[in-house]
Amino acid sequence: MSQRFARARRKEALLAYAFLFPSFLFLATFTYWPIIRSFWFSLHDVVLGDPEIFWMGAENYMRVLDDALFWKVLANTAFYTLTTIPISILAALLLAVALDRKLRGMAIYRSAFFYPVMIPSVAAGMVWVFLYAPGYGPINAALGAIGLPHLDWLYDSDLALSAIVIMSAWKYSGYFMLILLAALKLVPSDLYEAARLDGVSGVQRLLHITIPLISPTLYFVVVIGILHSYQVFDYVYVMTQGGPADSTNVLTYYIYQNGFQYQDIGYASTVANTLLVFMLGLIGLVALTLGRRVHYLGEK
Amino acid sequence: MDATIAERPSGAGSPPAIKPTRRRSLRSRIASCWLHLVLIPVGLLWISPLAWIVLTSLKTKIEVFDPEAGFLPAALNFANYPATLAVAPFGTYLINSILVTGSILIGQLITITLAAYAFARMEFPFKKILFTLFLLQVMFPIYAIFLTNFVTLHEFGLINTLPAMIVPFVASGYGTFMLRQSFRQVPAELSDAARLDGCGHLEILWHVFLPLVQPTLIAFTIISVVTHWNDYMWPLLVTNSDDVRTLPIGLGLLAKSDSGADWTRLMAGTTIVVSPLLLFFVIFQRRFIDSFMHTGVK
Repeated sequence: MSQRFARARRKEALLAYAFLFPSFLFLATFTYWPIIRSFWFSLHDVVLGDPEIFWMGAENYMRVLDDALFWKVLANTAFYTLTTIPISILAALLLAVALDRKLRGMAIYRSAFFYPVMIPSVAAGMVWVFLYAPGYGPINAALGAIGLPHLDWLYDSDLALSAIVIMSAWKYSGYFMLILLAALKLVPSDLYEAARLDGVSGVQRLLHITIPLISPTLYFVVVIGILHSYQVFDYVYVMTQGGPADSTNVLTYYIYQNGFQYQDIGYASTVANTLLVFMLGLIGLVALTLGRRVHYLGEK
Repeated sequence: MDATIAERPSGAGSPPAIKPTRRRSLRSRIASCWLHLVLIPVGLLWISPLAWIVLTSLKTKIEVFDPEAGFLPAALNFANYPATLAVAPFGTYLINSILVTGSILIGQLITITLAAYAFARMEFPFKKILFTLFLLQVMFPIYAIFLTNFVTLHEFGLINTLPAMIVPFVASGYGTFMLRQSFRQVPAELSDAARLDGCGHLEILWHVFLPLVQPTLIAFTIISVVTHWNDYMWPLLVTNSDDVRTLPIGLGLLAKSDSGADWTRLMAGTTIVVSPLLLFFVIFQRRFIDSFMHTGVK
């Protein structure tokens, strides 16, 4: 009897592996192998198309440490991620709280905030180049109309990265808003009612009731935000090509420059590895800080 | 991560709205007036880039640079559209976009259905480790590993072909995760009953599970199509001739060849590229909103 049971289990396991095989084949070829290879390449001098690679040991890593541009690029990447994510989530939260009620024109509002998600990054980048244009761009025209000075936006090395941050907030807030809105709909309204009767103000209700109750979703949105921040490559490529003076150069773009423009695959792989570590660290940090504080509805 | 990222199939089995409908008090009516006062300007601000795309595509070249010209085009000028279509093979781009997005979707639906079923309903050694390995792809998408992937495809001789834009995306850790959540919600009695009737796993998957998780399949389809239809970086890196380029790449090239000067033609091109998805969005608004909305809800 038990032998037959064991055989059935073995059969199920084999079938399960067969089910996993198609996915695993593609994951192994296009996710695991490239990651492993990236570490292997970083220890070598690699030329594209040349099967011979030369051992360099830790030389590429020494170079990274001494590369002033690399540190600037890393700082830019950190700046982009650490501003874009909080700004878009804050905007998304405010919009979601505002829309979490019976409101006329609800569908229109939701679509108005959500549609940027569906615009290709290249199209979004191009339109914003136009909107930011120093001479004839509508943003400067609007600033002029209310008596503010014209800004050079993408041509100003102090402003260019912030300009991309603003654009990203426009692109992603609507998506985060939708996810938060779905979570808000599950918060029992008697909680608000009770708090309101106790004279708790709107801001306090947001901080002490709403945010704790939707914290699992907020945490999820932060993770999604980190994953979407990879896309900054598209905006940098389309809008600034890393300039002016490398003020918008980010890790993904720097990998591209080294690998594709300078054909230095070994060094580009080394930078790519720092990107992997950066993202892993960021997600790990978020999981350890925010993930720990998450409250689940109905759990003590 | 496991506990928070979860997907609720929209429609089937969604918990009832807890909020009781109350008679709208004067207080809430005043509040919603205030809200409109804030939301309308913010909404207009959000829509303005789209309005700018469409309006600029209908202007003349001179109008764009004229500071005196108003927000609206003086006369509707549709000439930019045929002009744009004439400078680049948008028909080829469109067909390529459809082929690439469609192939990715079909591949993904097959791989994620099988994998998600195994993770949700079967027992086997190393299940946890394998599942974590699947999620690794979510953390390290193509943006993180494009360089070595390019080398791999170069070795396969696939650079500048349509498959190059498809194969890296055929497996989807995210899709597997999403579908596993839905499969787990299917009552065990259903599959047990089918089991007793002598059905194998494949038959149960096909006849019992797939019909029940349709909302999730639709949600995944929408998210996958939006993502890959709009993909820019990877197609940019692996293509170098017009016969394999997709719409976003064609649009990017248009910007380069015009060196940013001819905004009217560029915005006409942008309108052409963004309209298919936006059109679908307008028609199937609820489906789109629901799909994206419930990607994050536990």
